[in-house]
Amino acid sequence: MNLLGAARRPQADARRSSGLEERELLERVRERDLRAFERLYRIYQPRLGRFLFNLVQRPQVVEEVLNDTMMVVWDTADSFRGTSKLSTWIFSIAYRKAIKARLRWPDPVEDQTFDTRVSNDPGPDEELDHQRLHEALMKAMDQLSSDHRAVVDLTYFHGMGYREIADIMNCPVDTVKTRMFHARRRLKAAMPGSLFDWL
Amino acid sequence: MADEPHDQAEELLPWYATGQLDAADRALVEKHLASCARCQRQLTAERALIHEFQSLTPEIETGWAQLRGRIVARPRSRPRLGTALAEFWELLKRPAVATLATAQVAFVAIGATILQWSSQPTYVALGSAPVAGSANVIVMFRPEAREADLRGALATSGAALVGGPTEADAYLLHVPVNARPAALEKLRKDSNVTLAQPIDGPAE
Repeated sequence: MNLLGAARRPQADARRSSGLEERELLERVRERDLRAFERLYRIYQPRLGRFLFNLVQRPQVVEEVLNDTMMVVWDTADSFRGTSKLSTWIFSIAYRKAIKARLRWPDPVEDQTFDTRVSNDPGPDEELDHQRLHEALMKAMDQLSSDHRAVVDLTYFHGMGYREIADIMNCPVDTVKTRMFHARRRLKAAMPGSLFDWL
Repeated sequence: MADEPHDQAEELLPWYATGQLDAADRALVEKHLASCARCQRQLTAERALIHEFQSLTPEIETGWAQLRGRIVARPRSRPRLGTALAEFWELLKRPAVATLATAQVAFVAIGATILQWSSQPTYVALGSAPVAGSANVIVMFRPEAREADLRGALATSGAALVGGPTEADAYLLHVPVNARPAALEKLRKDSNVTLAQPIDGPAE
């Protein structure tokens, strides 16, 4: 896995799927339809992979946790009652699995001086091409705690609301808002260029 | 939680930008945005940030093959002996099976295998040390494949049925170790076989 690899659009499977299609797939998974499960896997793999990478940051652990997560989906598809989105259910399983994996692989030490340090990277007057901006963004994300990264990514990439994120991470909505607020400040401090002149 | 209108709106801006606020939150943000140039600038930057994030996707090696392997290799919940016998009887009553009366001996052998399997106290894990006669190949057949197709594949490849069906309708076979590469090749060429893999070591 390479988060800094070539930027490209998310995989088509992930983009084309709808909540209705996913529910239908889950119905077939309940009937032990392996092809339906493969389709569901391919829809969720890029999304979960990205989410989990933000939480555990080790490719081999990501794959292990991702497959463990989908194994739970396969095994307990009958237990999904539809009171939440299917994505919320699957992501919450992945989050719990990632928390357990993190006990084995603790977070990197967070840089507490981050809010105040001055970036030596090119200033706002220097035009950053997209690739450099992507790399700077990912580098800035690397400096966040795993929970902050997860909230940022669930918000910006996965397009989830703060209540859904709170359900996934099993925390109060105010905690989600606070994490997002502080994460944005830290991204601002880490990012070069004009994008973050706004804060 | 933020108390001031500016702080509240600022906190909600990321979800306003992604269209994920409910009506009450959205109204709060929009009311504040109308009079706060700072938050208007922040909103522009939020949208740029969202665009950047959405253009980035990690390149993940597919783990599907591994996950599928875990599923197909797992034993199905073992039916009780009576259930197994009833299933076997239903199998014998199928017209396609009935036409194979000349292969009664083979059916007896399969029936004996099922009975032996259903009476084994524990399932032999795939990672266990292989012993003579233990499963060393896993196969899956097309859903449309008939019993005769299954038997034909076994006969052609020289494999013996050891167990199955697993939870994903896979069957566990045994072939002599030195004959396994050839057996796998024959199984993979069989149009009724959708999967044929060694299960106690790397593919030959």
